[in-house]
Amino acid sequence: MSSKTGKPVMHSAAWRISLWATLAYACGTMLVFVFMHQFIAQDIQRRSDAWLTGEVEVLGDVAEHTPKDALYGRVMGEVAELASKEVPNRVRSESSGNDSVFFLQLGTNGAMQLWAGPGSSEPYAAAIQKATFSQDRPTDVNVAGTTIPFRVAMLPIDNGSRVYLGLSERDQLRVLRKLRVRFILWWLLLVALGFAIAFYTTRRMLSHVRSITEAASRIGHSDLRERVPASERKDEVGQLSRTLNRMLDRIENSMHQLHTITDSLAHDLRSPLTAIRGKLEMSLLAATHGEQAEPIVSAIDELDRLTEFLNASLDVAEARADALRLSRSEIDLDELLRIMVDLYEPSMAEKGLQIRLRSVGPLTVEADAALVHRMVANLFDNELKHLPASCTVTVRLESGDGVALLSVEDDGPGFAPEVSQHLFERRVKGKDSDGHGLGLAFVDAVVRAHGGSLTATNRENGGARIVLSLPTVPVHVA
Amino acid sequence: MMNYIAAMRLLLVEDEQDIRSFLRLSLEEAGYEVDAASDGEAAERFSAENAYDILVVDLGLPDCDGISLILRLRQTGVKAPVLILSARRSVDDRVRGLEQGGDDYLTKPFALAELLARLRNLLKRNTPAIGESTRLRVMDLELDLLRRVATRSGEMLQLTPQEFVLLEYLCRNAGRVVTRSMILDKVWGMRIQPDTNVVDVHIYRLRGKVDGKGQQPLIRTLRGVGYVLKDR
Repeated sequence: MSSKTGKPVMHSAAWRISLWATLAYACGTMLVFVFMHQFIAQDIQRRSDAWLTGEVEVLGDVAEHTPKDALYGRVMGEVAELASKEVPNRVRSESSGNDSVFFLQLGTNGAMQLWAGPGSSEPYAAAIQKATFSQDRPTDVNVAGTTIPFRVAMLPIDNGSRVYLGLSERDQLRVLRKLRVRFILWWLLLVALGFAIAFYTTRRMLSHVRSITEAASRIGHSDLRERVPASERKDEVGQLSRTLNRMLDRIENSMHQLHTITDSLAHDLRSPLTAIRGKLEMSLLAATHGEQAEPIVSAIDELDRLTEFLNASLDVAEARADALRLSRSEIDLDELLRIMVDLYEPSMAEKGLQIRLRSVGPLTVEADAALVHRMVANLFDNELKHLPASCTVTVRLESGDGVALLSVEDDGPGFAPEVSQHLFERRVKGKDSDGHGLGLAFVDAVVRAHGGSLTATNRENGGARIVLSLPTVPVHVA
Repeated sequence: MMNYIAAMRLLLVEDEQDIRSFLRLSLEEAGYEVDAASDGEAAERFSAENAYDILVVDLGLPDCDGISLILRLRQTGVKAPVLILSARRSVDDRVRGLEQGGDDYLTKPFALAELLARLRNLLKRNTPAIGESTRLRVMDLELDLLRRVATRSGEMLQLTPQEFVLLEYLCRNAGRVVTRSMILDKVWGMRIQPDTNVVDVHIYRLRGKVDGKGQQPLIRTLRGVGYVLKDR
């Protein structure tokens, strides 16, 4: 249906597919980024650990070989200062002073021997004494008063004291944070790009499917000669349209065969009927006495009923196979019902029946005029034949949701229980009915051929009600 | 029955022996001069030898398709209108084309009266219309088509609009038989075959108003055939 394009994009399959595809893609790229982040963080850690171990060895070496005199403190302080200038990952612009590196030497009893670093040594010394160190790897130490932990390397020297070199992880964390921000920006960009590509391609792909669907639904309701748009593509969509077209070929073929059968059946029966009718009419002209004419007249009547039965039978058969050929035109049901009620009113009145029409006013349907006329005549004939005197037939025309509702109800005896289960089947009729039992089956066939529906029920207060709905606009089932 | 001043020449093309013979008989009785062909070849021969005023062609012929025959005849210069007879269910698109071109189409089986009425219509269409009268007169029945009133022997008849249309149709075909389905088609615009007596009751009511007591009954029922409005 063409109104599909008016649907919000969010309800389309293309949207859902690309959403899921993007989700998978986002998770994948996120995993890759996390892995890379991990790798880089470890690498940075390894580099700063290497620096710490190297520097602490230098410092240890210096501490061992520098005499413990008044100069010792200055020498160590300067060496530490020097080392701090080579801090890895350091942000150059800031830090006039050194606040990311500290050097600490503790004696065997834990007494402080030397301190070079930012601020007071006490929190650092306290934190270091709480921590446990191994000689191979630096350890993380949280110093009270600072938020960022220090990475600290320890080296015991000969005189039994230990030297500690600490490096704030601040710079390292800053580098990683920067990296993360960039990663996330890139990730968002990639995900958005991925979604756009996925959405565009699935939409394009599905628009082929949609045009196939539209064409297929159009074909179902109008002309079997049409075909869905075929494409040269070798993919599933191309295959779908080729398969559909092959299926349509087969359907058209069997429809054609059905039509050939009904046509030739009609032809083979109508030709002799024509000859018989003609001869009967000729002999009717020759018959001078009423007595002679009577059987001929009733034979002609029977013949006409047989013809009508034949036509209706073939229509019902074709409609059952969804193969009824319709030549649609615009019909105003209101006008049609007025004419029909006017046509049937005298006959009803003569039988003591009343007929009333309640109509909403002009209501147009696109339908096969001849079939709809015969259908309404059928419904009225039914009432006329089966209702006992002094009943009322009420014909209603209402407008429903995209459908015209036509109902015929009466206050007669209603449908007999033995037939009410099989009303729309062929040759079902009441015990005392003299019809050929095709009436409602024919009505049902016509209604369904037009994409409508028919219900027949007994009313609660007695009487029968037949409601048929016909689409006011031609249906293209989506 | 009906005699024309100069008999119309009619070519009947129908392969079924039974139908051909009764059609020929009844058409001749209706005043046509009939040549009957049983296949396309014979039809073309006839058409080459004579000029016909009207053609009746069955669609299913043994040697060719009725429509191709009509198209071939048209190519050879035949301009006469054609009444197509068909026992098929579906109406071919080409038949629709011919219908638009002024020809007519009748489904088998049919009532003779209807066949004759259609032939008359086709012939009327082919002759230039003479100034349409605003009054119709049959015996002492008079219809004023503008004021939509009918009088019998000067007395006004109380007719509903629908009854007037029905009476007008009968008057236009005075002296000729009209069938129930012709009435339904022309008066109500319905191509239906009700298996109840709806048309009869309308005629019965109309007769009650037109044929008063002591007057000569004008509307006659021909049982098994239809109705006729007497014109003499």
